[in-house]
Amino acid sequence: MDHLAIINYVIIALVGGFGAILANKGIAVFNDGLRPIMPEYFEGKISRKELAASSFAVSFGLVIGFGIPVSIGTTILVAHSILLAADIIGTSTPNNKIGVALSGVIGAVYGVGLMFGLSFIVQMFSKLPVDFLPGLSLLGGPILLAFCAFPAVAVASQHNGKRGIVTFVLTFVTFILTDKFGTFNVGDYKITLNSIGMALLVAMICMIYFAAKVQETGDGNNSALVNVFGERVSRIKKNWIWLSIEGGLITAASSLLILAVDVLPQQLLVKDQVTAALIATLARAVGFIPLVFSTAIVTGVYGMAGTTIIFGIGLALQGHPFIAFVAGFIWMFAEVQLLGVTAKGLDKFPGLRDMGEHIRDSLSQTISVALLIGAAIACNKMAPTLGYFWIVGFYLINKQMKKPLVEMAVGPIAAIALGILLNVLRLIQLY
Amino acid sequence: MAYKLVVGGQLNKDEIAKQIKELSTQEITVDVKSDLDAAMAVKNGDYDYYVGACETGAGGALAMATALIGSDKTVTVASPSKMLDEDEIINEINNGKVAFGFTANTTDSVLPAIVKGLDNK
Repeated sequence: MDHLAIINYVIIALVGGFGAILANKGIAVFNDGLRPIMPEYFEGKISRKELAASSFAVSFGLVIGFGIPVSIGTTILVAHSILLAADIIGTSTPNNKIGVALSGVIGAVYGVGLMFGLSFIVQMFSKLPVDFLPGLSLLGGPILLAFCAFPAVAVASQHNGKRGIVTFVLTFVTFILTDKFGTFNVGDYKITLNSIGMALLVAMICMIYFAAKVQETGDGNNSALVNVFGERVSRIKKNWIWLSIEGGLITAASSLLILAVDVLPQQLLVKDQVTAALIATLARAVGFIPLVFSTAIVTGVYGMAGTTIIFGIGLALQGHPFIAFVAGFIWMFAEVQLLGVTAKGLDKFPGLRDMGEHIRDSLSQTISVALLIGAAIACNKMAPTLGYFWIVGFYLINKQMKKPLVEMAVGPIAAIALGILLNVLRLIQLY
Repeated sequence: MAYKLVVGGQLNKDEIAKQIKELSTQEITVDVKSDLDAAMAVKNGDYDYYVGACETGAGGALAMATALIGSDKTVTVASPSKMLDEDEIINEINNGKVAFGFTANTTDSVLPAIVKGLDNK
Protein backbone atom coordinates (compact mmCIF):
# COMPACT_ATOMS: atom_id res chain seq x y z
CA MET A 1 0.00 0.00 0.00
CA ASP A 2 1.54 3.29 -1.00
CA HIS A 3 1.75 6.52 0.90
CA LEU A 4 -1.33 8.10 -0.70
CA ALA A 5 -3.54 5.08 -0.11
CA ILE A 6 -2.67 5.20 3.59
CA ILE A 7 -3.76 8.85 3.79
CA ASN A 8 -7.03 7.89 2.06
CA TYR A 9 -7.75 5.21 4.64
CA VAL A 10 -6.79 7.45 7.56
CA ILE A 11 -9.04 10.28 6.37
CA ILE A 12 -12.02 8.04 5.63
CA ALA A 13 -11.62 6.40 9.06
CA LEU A 14 -11.63 9.83 10.69
CA VAL A 15 -14.66 10.98 8.68
CA GLY A 16 -16.62 7.85 9.66
CA GLY A 17 -15.47 7.79 13.28
CA PHE A 18 -15.91 11.46 13.95
CA GLY A 19 -19.22 11.53 12.11
CA ALA A 20 -20.53 8.72 14.30
CA ILE A 21 -19.40 10.63 17.42
CA LEU A 22 -21.29 13.72 16.22
CA ALA A 23 -24.43 11.63 15.80
CA ASN A 24 -23.83 9.95 19.15
CA LYS A 25 -23.63 13.29 20.93
CA GLY A 26 -26.63 14.62 18.98
CA ILE A 27 -24.54 17.44 17.50
CA ALA A 28 -25.18 16.66 13.86
CA VAL A 29 -26.80 14.02 11.67
CA PHE A 30 -26.59 13.65 7.91
CA ASN A 31 -30.16 12.52 7.21
CA ASP A 32 -32.48 15.54 7.03
CA GLY A 33 -35.32 13.26 8.07
CA LEU A 34 -33.61 12.12 11.26
CA ARG A 35 -32.85 15.65 12.45
CA PRO A 36 -36.41 16.47 13.65
CA ILE A 37 -36.52 13.25 15.66
CA MET A 38 -33.42 14.20 17.69
CA PRO A 39 -35.14 16.85 19.89
CA GLU A 40 -37.80 14.30 20.79
CA TYR A 41 -35.01 12.24 22.29
CA PHE A 42 -33.40 15.20 24.08
CA GLU A 43 -36.77 16.04 25.62
CA GLY A 44 -37.26 12.46 26.74
CA LYS A 45 -40.30 11.81 24.54
CA ILE A 46 -38.62 8.79 22.99
CA SER A 47 -35.97 6.43 24.35
CA ARG A 48 -32.48 5.85 22.97
CA LYS A 49 -33.72 2.55 21.59
CA GLU A 50 -36.55 4.23 19.73
CA LEU A 51 -34.13 6.85 18.43
CA ALA A 52 -31.82 4.12 17.15
CA ALA A 53 -34.78 2.35 15.53
CA SER A 54 -35.96 5.56 13.82
CA SER A 55 -32.46 6.27 12.63
CA PHE A 56 -32.16 2.77 11.24
CA ALA A 57 -35.56 3.04 9.57
CA VAL A 58 -34.86 6.30 7.75
CA SER A 59 -31.26 5.60 6.79
CA PHE A 60 -30.59 1.89 6.33
CA GLY A 61 -32.56 1.54 3.10
CA LEU A 62 -30.59 4.42 1.62
CA VAL A 63 -27.24 3.00 2.69
CA ILE A 64 -27.75 -0.42 1.13
CA GLY A 65 -30.25 0.61 -1.55
CA PHE A 66 -28.50 3.73 -2.77
CA GLY A 67 -25.18 4.75 -1.18
CA ILE A 68 -23.37 1.44 -1.57
CA PRO A 69 -24.73 0.22 -4.95
CA VAL A 70 -23.93 3.51 -6.71
CA SER A 71 -20.43 3.41 -5.20
CA ILE A 72 -19.75 -0.12 -6.48
CA GLY A 73 -17.42 -0.24 -9.45
CA THR A 74 -15.67 2.96 -8.40
CA THR A 75 -13.37 3.89 -5.54
CA ILE A 76 -15.22 7.12 -4.84
CA LEU A 77 -17.70 6.79 -2.00
CA VAL A 78 -21.05 8.54 -2.18
CA ALA A 79 -21.50 10.44 1.10
CA HIS A 80 -24.70 8.53 1.86
CA SER A 81 -22.82 5.25 2.13
CA ILE A 82 -20.69 6.48 5.02
CA LEU A 83 -22.43 9.47 6.65
CA LEU A 84 -25.87 7.84 6.88
CA ALA A 85 -24.18 4.81 8.39
CA ALA A 86 -22.51 7.20 10.85
CA ASP A 87 -26.03 8.38 11.82
CA ILE A 88 -27.05 4.81 12.55
CA ILE A 89 -23.85 3.92 14.43
CA GLY A 90 -23.93 7.08 16.52
CA THR A 91 -27.56 6.77 17.58
CA SER A 92 -27.29 3.01 18.23
CA THR A 93 -24.46 3.42 20.75
CA PRO A 94 -25.18 4.47 24.35
CA ASN A 95 -25.36 8.14 25.30
CA ASN A 96 -22.30 8.19 27.57
CA LYS A 97 -18.51 8.33 27.41
CA ILE A 98 -18.21 4.67 26.51
CA GLY A 99 -20.81 5.20 23.79
CA VAL A 100 -18.80 8.10 22.35
CA ALA A 101 -15.65 6.00 22.20
CA LEU A 102 -17.53 3.01 20.86
CA SER A 103 -19.26 5.01 18.10
CA GLY A 104 -15.93 6.53 17.08
CA VAL A 105 -14.27 3.13 16.79
CA ILE A 106 -17.16 1.47 14.95
CA GLY A 107 -17.51 4.46 12.62
CA ALA A 108 -13.81 4.38 11.78
CA VAL A 109 -13.75 0.62 11.24
CA TYR A 110 -16.86 0.90 9.08
CA GLY A 111 -15.27 3.64 6.94
CA VAL A 112 -12.11 1.64 6.38
CA GLY A 113 -14.07 -1.55 5.78
CA LEU A 114 -16.31 0.14 3.24
CA MET A 115 -13.44 1.63 1.27
CA PHE A 116 -11.47 -1.59 1.43
CA GLY A 117 -14.56 -3.59 0.45
CA LEU A 118 -15.28 -1.41 -2.56
CA SER A 119 -11.73 -1.56 -3.92
CA PHE A 120 -11.76 -5.29 -3.23
CA ILE A 121 -14.98 -5.64 -5.23
CA VAL A 122 -13.45 -3.69 -8.11
CA GLN A 123 -10.49 -6.12 -8.13
CA MET A 124 -12.76 -9.14 -7.78
CA PHE A 125 -14.96 -8.04 -10.67
CA SER A 126 -11.98 -7.75 -13.00
CA LYS A 127 -11.09 -11.38 -12.28
CA LEU A 128 -14.57 -12.77 -13.02
CA PRO A 129 -15.08 -15.02 -16.07
CA VAL A 130 -17.26 -12.29 -17.61
CA ASP A 131 -15.56 -9.01 -16.70
CA PHE A 132 -18.40 -6.51 -16.74
CA LEU A 133 -16.52 -3.51 -15.37
CA PRO A 134 -15.88 -2.09 -18.88
CA GLY A 135 -19.64 -2.30 -19.44
CA LEU A 136 -20.44 -0.87 -16.03
CA SER A 137 -18.12 2.07 -16.62
CA LEU A 138 -20.47 3.26 -19.38
CA LEU A 139 -23.16 3.81 -16.78
CA GLY A 140 -22.17 7.37 -15.98
CA GLY A 141 -21.77 8.42 -19.62
CA PRO A 142 -25.12 10.13 -20.22
CA ILE A 143 -25.05 11.99 -16.91
CA LEU A 144 -21.98 13.93 -18.01
CA LEU A 145 -23.88 16.54 -19.96
CA ALA A 146 -27.47 15.46 -19.34
CA PHE A 147 -27.54 16.77 -15.77
CA CYS A 148 -27.06 20.31 -17.12
CA ALA A 149 -30.75 20.07 -18.03
CA PHE A 150 -31.81 20.12 -14.39
CA PRO A 151 -31.99 23.90 -13.89
CA ALA A 152 -34.27 24.14 -16.95
CA VAL A 153 -36.49 21.39 -15.49
CA ALA A 154 -36.55 23.17 -12.12
CA VAL A 155 -37.48 26.48 -13.77
CA ALA A 156 -40.25 24.80 -15.76
CA SER A 157 -41.75 23.24 -12.62
CA GLN A 158 -41.34 26.30 -10.39
CA HIS A 159 -42.48 28.92 -12.92
CA ASN A 160 -43.79 27.74 -16.28
CA GLY A 161 -42.90 25.79 -19.38
CA LYS A 162 -41.95 28.88 -21.37
CA ARG A 163 -39.28 29.97 -18.89
CA GLY A 164 -38.10 26.37 -18.77
CA ILE A 165 -37.59 26.37 -22.53
CA VAL A 166 -35.75 29.72 -22.37
CA THR A 167 -33.36 28.28 -19.77
CA PHE A 168 -32.97 25.08 -21.76
CA VAL A 169 -32.13 26.92 -24.99
CA LEU A 170 -29.65 29.24 -23.24
CA THR A 171 -27.93 26.21 -21.66
CA PHE A 172 -27.77 24.53 -25.05
CA VAL A 173 -26.38 27.60 -26.82
CA THR A 174 -23.78 28.16 -24.10
CA PHE A 175 -22.54 24.62 -24.48
CA ILE A 176 -22.33 24.83 -28.27
CA LEU A 177 -20.50 28.18 -28.19
CA THR A 178 -18.01 27.35 -25.42
CA ASP A 179 -17.34 23.96 -26.97
CA LYS A 180 -16.59 25.58 -30.34
CA PHE A 181 -14.94 28.84 -29.30
CA GLY A 182 -14.03 28.15 -25.68
CA THR A 183 -10.30 27.77 -26.27
CA PHE A 184 -8.29 30.93 -26.78
CA ASN A 185 -4.84 32.30 -26.13
CA VAL A 186 -4.07 35.05 -23.67
CA GLY A 187 -0.44 35.94 -24.20
CA ASP A 188 1.44 32.65 -23.93
CA TYR A 189 -1.32 30.91 -22.00
CA LYS A 190 -3.90 28.73 -23.62
CA ILE A 191 -7.19 28.98 -21.79
CA THR A 192 -9.88 26.37 -22.22
CA LEU A 193 -13.34 27.00 -20.81
CA ASN A 194 -15.00 23.88 -19.46
CA SER A 195 -18.07 23.79 -21.69
CA ILE A 196 -20.10 21.59 -19.33
CA GLY A 197 -19.26 23.86 -16.42
CA MET A 198 -20.12 26.99 -18.39
CA ALA A 199 -23.43 25.55 -19.60
CA LEU A 200 -24.39 24.65 -16.05
CA LEU A 201 -23.30 28.03 -14.76
CA VAL A 202 -25.52 29.87 -17.27
CA ALA A 203 -28.41 27.54 -16.45
CA MET A 204 -27.97 28.17 -12.72
CA ILE A 205 -27.88 31.94 -13.26
CA CYS A 206 -31.18 31.73 -15.19
CA MET A 207 -32.71 29.64 -12.42
CA ILE A 208 -31.62 31.96 -9.61
CA TYR A 209 -32.63 35.04 -11.63
CA PHE A 210 -36.18 33.74 -12.12
CA ALA A 211 -36.47 32.63 -8.51
CA ALA A 212 -35.15 35.90 -7.07
CA LYS A 213 -37.84 37.78 -8.99
CA VAL A 214 -40.59 36.04 -7.02
CA GLN A 215 -42.07 38.67 -4.72
CA GLU A 216 -44.81 37.24 -2.51
CA THR A 217 -43.82 36.18 0.99
CA GLY A 218 -44.61 32.80 2.54
CA ASP A 219 -46.56 32.36 5.78
CA GLY A 220 -43.75 30.59 7.60
CA ASN A 221 -40.32 32.08 7.30
CA ASN A 222 -36.87 31.66 8.77
CA SER A 223 -36.94 34.87 10.86
CA ALA A 224 -39.90 33.53 12.78
CA LEU A 225 -38.16 30.18 13.20
CA VAL A 226 -34.89 31.75 14.37
CA ASN A 227 -36.78 33.81 16.95
CA VAL A 228 -38.88 30.93 18.24
CA PHE A 229 -36.00 28.44 18.25
CA GLY A 230 -33.21 30.83 19.33
CA GLU A 231 -31.99 28.46 22.00
CA ARG A 232 -31.57 25.67 19.48
CA VAL A 233 -29.57 27.91 17.16
CA SER A 234 -27.25 28.72 20.10
CA ARG A 235 -26.84 25.02 20.76
CA ILE A 236 -25.49 24.54 17.24
CA LYS A 237 -23.15 27.51 17.63
CA LYS A 238 -21.88 26.13 20.92
CA ASN A 239 -20.85 22.92 19.16
CA TRP A 240 -18.79 24.74 16.54
CA ILE A 241 -15.53 22.99 17.36
CA TRP A 242 -16.97 19.51 16.70
CA LEU A 243 -18.71 20.62 13.54
CA SER A 244 -15.60 22.41 12.27
CA ILE A 245 -13.39 19.34 12.78
CA GLU A 246 -15.82 17.08 10.91
CA GLY A 247 -16.14 19.81 8.27
CA GLY A 248 -12.38 19.88 7.84
CA LEU A 249 -12.20 16.08 7.59
CA ILE A 250 -14.95 15.87 4.97
CA THR A 251 -13.28 18.66 2.97
CA ALA A 252 -9.98 16.75 3.12
CA ALA A 253 -11.70 13.55 1.94
CA SER A 254 -13.33 15.48 -0.89
CA SER A 255 -9.96 16.95 -1.92
CA LEU A 256 -8.56 13.40 -2.14
CA LEU A 257 -11.45 12.50 -4.48
CA ILE A 258 -12.52 9.62 -2.26
CA LEU A 259 -15.84 11.07 -1.08
CA ALA A 260 -18.52 12.80 -3.16
CA VAL A 261 -21.69 14.40 -1.84
CA ASP A 262 -24.01 12.62 -4.28
CA VAL A 263 -24.09 10.28 -7.24
CA LEU A 264 -23.94 13.18 -9.70
CA PRO A 265 -20.55 14.66 -8.70
CA GLN A 266 -19.32 11.11 -8.09
CA GLN A 267 -20.05 10.04 -11.66
CA LEU A 268 -18.42 13.23 -12.94
CA LEU A 269 -15.33 12.47 -10.85
CA VAL A 270 -15.21 8.96 -12.27
CA LYS A 271 -14.93 10.68 -15.66
CA ASP A 272 -12.18 13.01 -14.36
CA GLN A 273 -14.45 16.03 -14.71
CA VAL A 274 -13.37 17.74 -11.50
CA THR A 275 -14.45 21.24 -12.51
CA ALA A 276 -17.90 20.04 -13.57
CA ALA A 277 -18.16 18.02 -10.34
CA LEU A 278 -17.29 21.15 -8.38
CA ILE A 279 -20.01 23.22 -10.05
CA ALA A 280 -22.50 20.34 -9.71
CA THR A 281 -21.71 20.07 -6.00
CA LEU A 282 -22.35 23.77 -5.48
CA ALA A 283 -25.53 23.62 -7.58
CA ARG A 284 -26.80 20.74 -5.48
CA ALA A 285 -25.92 22.60 -2.28
CA VAL A 286 -28.11 25.54 -3.38
CA GLY A 287 -31.02 23.11 -3.51
CA PHE A 288 -30.40 21.64 -0.08
CA ILE A 289 -29.50 24.80 1.87
CA PRO A 290 -33.11 25.79 2.68
CA LEU A 291 -33.91 22.29 4.00
CA VAL A 292 -30.68 21.98 6.00
CA PHE A 293 -31.09 25.46 7.48
CA SER A 294 -34.72 25.16 8.50
CA THR A 295 -34.38 21.66 9.97
CA ALA A 296 -31.21 22.73 11.80
CA ILE A 297 -32.82 25.84 13.27
CA VAL A 298 -35.89 24.07 14.60
CA THR A 299 -33.96 21.09 15.99
CA GLY A 300 -30.61 22.44 17.25
CA VAL A 301 -28.95 19.58 15.36
CA TYR A 302 -26.80 20.56 12.39
CA GLY A 303 -26.01 18.71 9.17
CA MET A 304 -22.90 16.55 9.38
CA ALA A 305 -21.59 18.30 6.28
CA GLY A 306 -23.60 21.49 6.88
CA THR A 307 -24.77 23.07 3.64
CA THR A 308 -22.49 20.54 1.83
CA ILE A 309 -20.59 23.46 0.26
CA ILE A 310 -17.46 22.03 1.91
CA PHE A 311 -17.49 19.19 -0.63
CA GLY A 312 -17.06 21.87 -3.30
CA ILE A 313 -14.23 23.51 -1.38
CA GLY A 314 -12.51 20.13 -1.22
CA LEU A 315 -12.77 19.71 -4.99
CA ALA A 316 -11.40 23.21 -5.53
CA LEU A 317 -8.39 22.22 -3.39
CA GLN A 318 -7.98 18.84 -5.07
CA GLY A 319 -4.83 17.02 -4.01
CA HIS A 320 -4.15 19.24 -1.00
CA PRO A 321 -5.82 17.45 1.93
CA PHE A 322 -4.10 19.50 4.64
CA ILE A 323 -4.97 22.88 3.16
CA ALA A 324 -8.47 21.48 2.50
CA PHE A 325 -8.81 20.50 6.15
CA VAL A 326 -7.98 24.02 7.30
CA ALA A 327 -10.25 25.62 4.70
CA GLY A 328 -13.12 23.28 5.58
CA PHE A 329 -12.62 23.92 9.28
CA ILE A 330 -12.79 27.70 8.79
CA TRP A 331 -15.74 27.50 6.40
CA MET A 332 -17.75 25.32 8.75
CA PHE A 333 -17.00 27.69 11.64
CA ALA A 334 -18.30 30.63 9.61
CA GLU A 335 -21.33 28.66 8.39
CA VAL A 336 -22.34 27.79 11.94
CA GLN A 337 -21.76 31.28 13.36
CA LEU A 338 -23.69 32.94 10.55
CA LEU A 339 -26.53 30.39 10.55
CA GLY A 340 -29.18 32.72 11.96
CA VAL A 341 -28.12 35.70 9.86
CA THR A 342 -27.98 33.74 6.59
CA ALA A 343 -31.30 32.03 7.24
CA LYS A 344 -32.98 35.39 7.91
CA GLY A 345 -31.34 36.79 4.79
CA LEU A 346 -32.96 34.03 2.74
CA ASP A 347 -36.38 35.38 3.77
CA LYS A 348 -35.85 38.36 1.48
CA PHE A 349 -36.02 35.97 -1.46
CA PRO A 350 -39.00 33.69 -0.90
CA GLY A 351 -38.54 32.31 -4.42
CA LEU A 352 -35.14 30.93 -3.46
CA ARG A 353 -36.53 28.76 -0.67
CA ASP A 354 -39.17 27.45 -3.00
CA MET A 355 -36.46 26.92 -5.61
CA GLY A 356 -34.72 24.49 -3.24
CA GLU A 357 -37.60 22.04 -3.49
CA HIS A 358 -37.69 22.29 -7.27
CA ILE A 359 -33.92 21.82 -7.51
CA ARG A 360 -34.01 18.68 -5.35
CA ASP A 361 -36.93 17.37 -7.37
CA SER A 362 -35.45 18.12 -10.81
CA LEU A 363 -31.98 16.88 -9.81
CA SER A 364 -33.27 13.50 -8.76
CA GLN A 365 -35.42 13.24 -11.91
CA THR A 366 -32.55 14.20 -14.19
CA ILE A 367 -30.09 11.86 -12.49
CA SER A 368 -32.59 8.99 -12.49
CA VAL A 369 -33.29 9.28 -16.21
CA ALA A 370 -29.61 9.75 -17.11
CA LEU A 371 -28.54 6.78 -14.98
CA LEU A 372 -31.31 4.66 -16.43
CA ILE A 373 -30.17 5.41 -19.98
CA GLY A 374 -26.57 4.85 -18.87
CA ALA A 375 -27.57 1.52 -17.36
CA ALA A 376 -29.26 0.53 -20.63
CA ILE A 377 -26.06 1.34 -22.55
CA ALA A 378 -23.96 -0.51 -19.95
CA CYS A 379 -26.22 -3.59 -19.99
CA ASN A 380 -26.22 -3.64 -23.75
CA LYS A 381 -22.43 -3.59 -23.77
CA MET A 382 -22.40 -6.59 -21.41
CA ALA A 383 -25.03 -8.54 -23.35
CA PRO A 384 -26.01 -7.03 -26.71
CA THR A 385 -29.79 -6.57 -27.17
CA LEU A 386 -30.53 -8.77 -24.14
CA GLY A 387 -29.34 -5.80 -22.07
CA TYR A 388 -32.21 -3.59 -23.23
CA PHE A 389 -34.77 -6.29 -22.46
CA TRP A 390 -33.28 -6.60 -18.98
CA ILE A 391 -33.25 -2.91 -18.15
CA VAL A 392 -36.72 -2.08 -19.48
CA GLY A 393 -38.24 -5.02 -17.62
CA PHE A 394 -36.27 -4.39 -14.45
CA TYR A 395 -37.24 -0.71 -14.34
CA LEU A 396 -40.94 -1.20 -14.98
CA ILE A 397 -41.38 -4.23 -12.74
CA ASN A 398 -39.54 -2.43 -9.91
CA LYS A 399 -42.20 0.29 -10.06
CA GLN A 400 -44.87 -2.30 -9.34
CA MET A 401 -43.05 -3.88 -6.41
CA LYS A 402 -44.27 -3.46 -2.89
CA LYS A 403 -40.88 -2.11 -1.88
CA PRO A 404 -39.53 -0.42 -4.99
CA LEU A 405 -35.84 0.43 -5.13
CA VAL A 406 -34.79 4.08 -4.83
CA GLU A 407 -35.45 5.63 -8.25
CA MET A 408 -31.88 6.88 -8.70
CA ALA A 409 -30.41 3.47 -7.84
CA VAL A 410 -32.59 1.33 -10.12
CA GLY A 411 -30.28 1.66 -13.14
CA PRO A 412 -27.01 0.93 -11.32
CA ILE A 413 -28.51 -1.99 -9.38
CA ALA A 414 -30.01 -3.49 -12.55
CA ALA A 415 -26.64 -3.24 -14.32
CA ILE A 416 -24.72 -4.87 -11.46
CA ALA A 417 -27.36 -7.59 -11.18
CA LEU A 418 -27.08 -8.37 -14.89
CA GLY A 419 -23.29 -8.54 -14.65
CA ILE A 420 -23.50 -11.04 -11.81
CA LEU A 421 -26.21 -13.03 -13.57
CA LEU A 422 -24.08 -13.27 -16.73
CA ASN A 423 -21.25 -14.73 -14.66
CA VAL A 424 -23.58 -17.31 -13.15
CA LEU A 425 -24.80 -18.21 -16.65
CA ARG A 426 -21.19 -18.51 -17.81
CA LEU A 427 -20.47 -20.88 -14.93
CA ILE A 428 -23.27 -23.20 -16.00
CA GLN A 429 -22.28 -22.65 -19.64
CA LEU A 430 -25.47 -20.98 -20.74
CA TYR A 431 -23.78 -17.76 -21.83
CA MET B 1 -66.59 14.37 7.03
CA ALA B 2 -65.14 17.22 5.05
CA TYR B 3 -61.53 18.02 5.86
CA LYS B 4 -58.70 20.25 4.68
CA LEU B 5 -55.47 18.74 3.49
CA VAL B 6 -52.21 20.37 2.41
CA VAL B 7 -49.51 18.82 0.24
CA GLY B 8 -46.06 19.95 1.43
CA GLY B 9 -42.87 17.99 1.06
CA GLN B 10 -41.12 17.98 -2.13
CA LEU B 11 -41.76 15.64 -5.06
CA ASN B 12 -44.71 15.51 -7.49
CA LYS B 13 -46.82 17.81 -5.34
CA ASP B 14 -49.37 18.82 -7.97
CA GLU B 15 -49.79 15.24 -9.10
CA ILE B 16 -50.34 14.07 -5.50
CA ALA B 17 -52.90 16.83 -4.87
CA LYS B 18 -54.76 15.84 -8.03
CA GLN B 19 -54.80 12.15 -7.12
CA ILE B 20 -56.08 12.86 -3.61
CA LYS B 21 -58.97 14.92 -4.99
CA GLU B 22 -59.85 12.11 -7.38
CA LEU B 23 -59.60 9.40 -4.72
CA SER B 24 -61.64 11.13 -2.04
CA THR B 25 -65.37 10.60 -1.88
CA GLN B 26 -65.76 13.60 0.46
CA GLU B 27 -65.99 17.35 -0.06
CA ILE B 28 -62.38 18.11 0.70
CA THR B 29 -60.01 21.03 0.23
CA VAL B 30 -56.54 20.19 -1.09
CA ASP B 31 -53.83 22.85 -1.42
CA VAL B 32 -50.15 22.73 -2.33
CA LYS B 33 -47.52 24.66 -0.33
CA SER B 34 -43.82 24.54 0.49
CA ASP B 35 -42.84 22.07 3.23
CA LEU B 36 -42.31 24.85 5.79
CA ASP B 37 -45.50 26.75 4.98
CA ALA B 38 -47.53 23.55 4.88
CA ALA B 39 -46.22 22.33 8.25
CA MET B 40 -46.86 25.76 9.80
CA ALA B 41 -50.39 25.76 8.38
CA VAL B 42 -51.20 22.41 9.99
CA LYS B 43 -49.61 23.52 13.27
CA ASN B 44 -51.77 26.66 13.23
CA GLY B 45 -54.90 24.62 12.54
CA ASP B 46 -55.52 26.01 9.05
CA TYR B 47 -55.38 22.48 7.68
CA ASP B 48 -56.25 19.12 9.20
CA TYR B 49 -53.74 16.92 7.41
CA TYR B 50 -50.36 17.04 5.69
CA VAL B 51 -48.94 14.70 3.07
CA GLY B 52 -45.59 14.85 1.32
CA ALA B 53 -43.28 12.72 -0.80
CA CYS B 54 -39.53 12.66 -1.30
CA GLU B 55 -36.77 10.13 -2.01
CA THR B 56 -36.68 8.89 1.59
CA GLY B 57 -40.20 9.47 2.87
CA ALA B 58 -38.74 11.29 5.86
CA GLY B 59 -36.41 14.10 4.76
CA GLY B 60 -37.84 16.58 2.30
CA ALA B 61 -41.27 15.03 2.72
CA LEU B 62 -41.71 15.05 6.46
CA ALA B 63 -38.77 16.74 8.23
CA MET B 64 -40.37 20.14 8.79
CA ALA B 65 -43.71 18.61 9.69
CA THR B 66 -42.03 16.38 12.28
CA ALA B 67 -40.13 19.34 13.70
CA LEU B 68 -43.13 21.63 13.97
CA ILE B 69 -46.03 19.25 14.66
CA GLY B 70 -44.11 16.56 16.57
CA SER B 71 -43.19 12.99 15.76
CA ASP B 72 -46.19 11.62 17.66
CA LYS B 73 -48.39 13.18 14.96
CA THR B 74 -46.30 12.22 11.94
CA VAL B 75 -45.57 8.91 10.28
CA THR B 76 -43.47 7.71 7.38
CA VAL B 77 -45.81 5.33 5.59
CA ALA B 78 -43.23 4.28 3.03
CA SER B 79 -39.44 4.49 3.19
CA PRO B 80 -36.87 2.80 0.93
CA SER B 81 -36.79 -0.15 3.35
CA LYS B 82 -40.39 -0.43 4.54
CA MET B 83 -43.92 0.23 3.38
CA LEU B 84 -46.96 0.05 5.62
CA ASP B 85 -49.96 -1.87 4.29
CA GLU B 86 -53.51 -0.52 4.17
CA ASP B 87 -54.50 -1.75 7.63
CA GLU B 88 -51.39 -0.31 9.23
CA ILE B 89 -51.93 3.05 7.53
CA ILE B 90 -55.58 3.23 8.64
CA ASN B 91 -54.46 2.22 12.11
CA GLU B 92 -51.95 5.10 12.21
CA ILE B 93 -54.67 7.54 11.12
CA ASN B 94 -57.01 6.30 13.85
CA ASN B 95 -54.18 6.70 16.34
CA GLY B 96 -54.15 10.42 15.65
CA LYS B 97 -51.43 10.84 13.04
CA VAL B 98 -52.01 13.92 10.88
CA ALA B 99 -48.89 14.15 8.71
CA PHE B 100 -47.84 11.45 6.28
CA GLY B 101 -44.58 11.09 4.36
CA PHE B 102 -43.70 8.51 1.75
CA THR B 103 -41.23 7.83 -1.06
CA ALA B 104 -42.26 9.30 -4.39
CA ASN B 105 -42.28 5.95 -6.16
CA THR B 106 -44.81 4.45 -3.75
CA THR B 107 -47.36 7.26 -4.28
CA ASP B 108 -49.78 5.08 -6.25
CA SER B 109 -49.71 2.35 -3.60
CA VAL B 110 -50.09 4.42 -0.42
CA LEU B 111 -52.41 7.26 -1.42
CA PRO B 112 -55.58 5.15 -1.77
CA ALA B 113 -55.12 3.80 1.77
CA ILE B 114 -54.37 7.22 3.24
CA VAL B 115 -57.37 8.85 1.59
CA LYS B 116 -59.61 5.92 2.55
CA GLY B 117 -58.51 6.26 6.17
CA LEU B 118 -59.01 10.02 6.23
CA ASP B 119 -62.39 9.83 4.48
CA ASN B 120 -63.69 7.40 7.07
CA LYS B 121 -62.28 9.15 10.11
